[in-house]
Amino acid sequence: MNVKRMSRIALSLAAALTVGQAFAATRGGQMTFGRYADSLFLDPVLNDANLDIWILTNLYDTLLQPTADGKGVQPGLASAYSLSKDGKTVSLTLRSGIKFADGSPITAADVKWSLDRARNPDNGAWVGLVGSIASVAASGNKVTVTLKKPDPSIIPALATFNTGIMPQKLFNAAPGKNDAEKAKAFAEKPIGSGPFVLSEWKRGSYMVLKRNPYYWKMGEDKKALPYLDTLRFEIIPDDNTRILKLQAGELQGAEFIPLSRVAELKKDPKINMVLFPSTKVNDIIMNNRPKLKDGSANPLSDVRVRQALNYAVNRDALIQLVTFGTGKPMKSFMSSGTPLFDPAQKGFNYDPDKAKALLKAAGFEKGLEVTSMATSGSADDQALLTALQQMWGAVGIKLKIEQLDAATKTARYRANDFQMRTGAWTDDIADPSEITGYYAVNGDTEAAHTGFTDPAIEKLFIQSQQETDKTKRAAQYRQIQTLYAAASPTIFLFETPYAVALLNNVKGFNQIPLGNNIFEATWLAK
Amino acid sequence: MHTSYVLRRLLQIIPLFLAVMVLVFTLVHLIPGDPVSTLLGDRATPDIVARANKELGLDKPLLVQFGLFVNQLLHGNLGESINLKIPVLRLIGERLPVTLFLTVYAAVLGVAMAVPLAMLAAVRRNTWVDAVIRAVFQVGLSLPVFYVALQLLTLLGARLGWFPIGGYGENFGEHLFHLFLPALTLGLNLAAILVRTLRNSIIEVLTAEYVDFARAKGLRGSVIMTRHVLRNALIATVTLLGLNIGALIGGAVITETVFAIPGVGRLMVDAIFGRDYPVIQGLTLMFALIVSLVFLATDLIHARLDPRAELS
Repeated sequence: MNVKRMSRIALSLAAALTVGQAFAATRGGQMTFGRYADSLFLDPVLNDANLDIWILTNLYDTLLQPTADGKGVQPGLASAYSLSKDGKTVSLTLRSGIKFADGSPITAADVKWSLDRARNPDNGAWVGLVGSIASVAASGNKVTVTLKKPDPSIIPALATFNTGIMPQKLFNAAPGKNDAEKAKAFAEKPIGSGPFVLSEWKRGSYMVLKRNPYYWKMGEDKKALPYLDTLRFEIIPDDNTRILKLQAGELQGAEFIPLSRVAELKKDPKINMVLFPSTKVNDIIMNNRPKLKDGSANPLSDVRVRQALNYAVNRDALIQLVTFGTGKPMKSFMSSGTPLFDPAQKGFNYDPDKAKALLKAAGFEKGLEVTSMATSGSADDQALLTALQQMWGAVGIKLKIEQLDAATKTARYRANDFQMRTGAWTDDIADPSEITGYYAVNGDTEAAHTGFTDPAIEKLFIQSQQETDKTKRAAQYRQIQTLYAAASPTIFLFETPYAVALLNNVKGFNQIPLGNNIFEATWLAK
Repeated sequence: MHTSYVLRRLLQIIPLFLAVMVLVFTLVHLIPGDPVSTLLGDRATPDIVARANKELGLDKPLLVQFGLFVNQLLHGNLGESINLKIPVLRLIGERLPVTLFLTVYAAVLGVAMAVPLAMLAAVRRNTWVDAVIRAVFQVGLSLPVFYVALQLLTLLGARLGWFPIGGYGENFGEHLFHLFLPALTLGLNLAAILVRTLRNSIIEVLTAEYVDFARAKGLRGSVIMTRHVLRNALIATVTLLGLNIGALIGGAVITETVFAIPGVGRLMVDAIFGRDYPVIQGLTLMFALIVSLVFLATDLIHARLDPRAELS
């Protein structure tokens, strides 16, 4: 063997070793993850809360999946999909050999049944996301979804939690007279198609998920995911306790780290403090109607006053005060992580002089008084509104704060009985139509209960809901965002990330911008 | 005589129960908000909320809803949690033992601390020993529970690693271990209340003539202390303990939250914030029942300790 050849072997060996190391995910073990509250109801279709939504896809896989950045879609239980030219038919091919967590095959019939259940108008809050489906047909490994009209959001809808695939036979075998009763029984110990399967659940205390040995997706070692044997959720409502438990090594990860603790945890050498990009926007919702519920005149019906309030907000200061430097200013009503967010949007700069001029033009040069509802006990609301009191005070606007518990606050704004309120939104689907339908369109929810309406936006939204040309749809959304900002029905504040603290040996965990916690490729380094 | 007294007291619980039932039902339905829109928040359309309320029967007139609630109750059914979709009785069955364990544990620790220290303070009254004991508990009483809880967790849990940080454990031994710090937190607070009364009672009894008489008889100090002094001094303390155990069961919320204990306190708070009416109603009725029973037990023990007390 000559030297040259030897060195070549050595080189390739070294390369192989390096590559090997880069992909050396360790299999097995248990990860304990601290959650701030327990799940409520593990049914993909009938659940009502993020507590369920954000972990559901670990139990129920979808035909398509959101990409890691949350903006796109990749194949899931379906290995291939295509949208017909007229935008009215989605054809999907199921992967061969896919199985539920009990080893029984996932058939096209299960898929049809699951989608039909998800779009049944009697079933829960998420029907609207798949409202465009006219029928679902299944044969062999082919699933065909026929739409009533072209729907650009149908592809992301098939990657959203409520279209998770469930085993029809097992569900129907659950005790109960109807779907609702069977769902309750089934959701106590669900058998799904996701990377994990529920093994034990002590409500309010802990939940144990075991590796689904039949999961289809392959890891970097070319063996089936997930890497972890066990995923254990511990319910620890108190932020301090959750952090202490992580620091003591009793947890490997903890969610909902208060943003005030991020800087400190970043300095902890044992901890990997991660700020996952989110679709969360924090804003102030304004009542835009000429009169408030009690009949009094509402200065916020004047667009100049709403703009003035926006210009009088020093977002950089708020980001330091409320998010401890972790947030970034909102530029549009939708987050910068939402598909078709328009990067050219400018939002509002901090310009108190402009605010004063606008107020003067609106006839309020002597000032005015506004009232905002806040969630009692929320330190963030308290910090935010106190800071706004000062900022708005400087331009002659007096802000009164009304503290209410979350349920009362919700009831009040749903009855349009408010002038302002603190608000926040996170997308559930990788498509801008959900937030736009809620915030900008005067539909069921009266544009986030602002009462705002703009015929141009209404028209653009209807068009965009059927527009399958991506460029055209992006242009429509650019216009919607520009019109919305000009009309200022809400006050843009800041976007905040998901703060998750992990021990250093935790690898491959992801929380996508929609909020889903993805544990399928999580592993623990030795 | 005792049996008929106990029976009578138990019967008295029925009107109390009815009053609590009417009160809690009216109150929970009077406060604004509904479970579905609270859970869904912004995403709830009027349509979705209306449909959910219809399914839950929340669209019916209040009187009809009350009738259904009473009817259910007569069948021994507390209904089903709206948010968790499981029967309230099952929830209580899972969570109540946790809170009761914690309460009894706290009471035992509290009494175990209070009795010897109160005796010591009373016997050495107006010395530095007395001053230190009283000062320490005075401070303990004025510190907020969550602060004490967090300090104990940080020091004994995180820093020294002697105890697990929160949780409940899976068997009796683990419960004792996991619940030590929360029980200590509540126990310290309870002991602080008890030490004051008990110390004063002991001092009072120590100066009574029958104690002098017992001494004159030549009885040993320990016998005098346990048989004559403590027994008499405990009478007022037992009543106080009973009152405070009632408060402990309802007031374990903060401790349960800080120590991540899945008890009824936390369940109640979640239910109130989530407007989970059946859970709020079921838990309130259960609290009323338990507090009544604890008070009854307190009176019976009181009667045993003090034969002069008439059970009537």
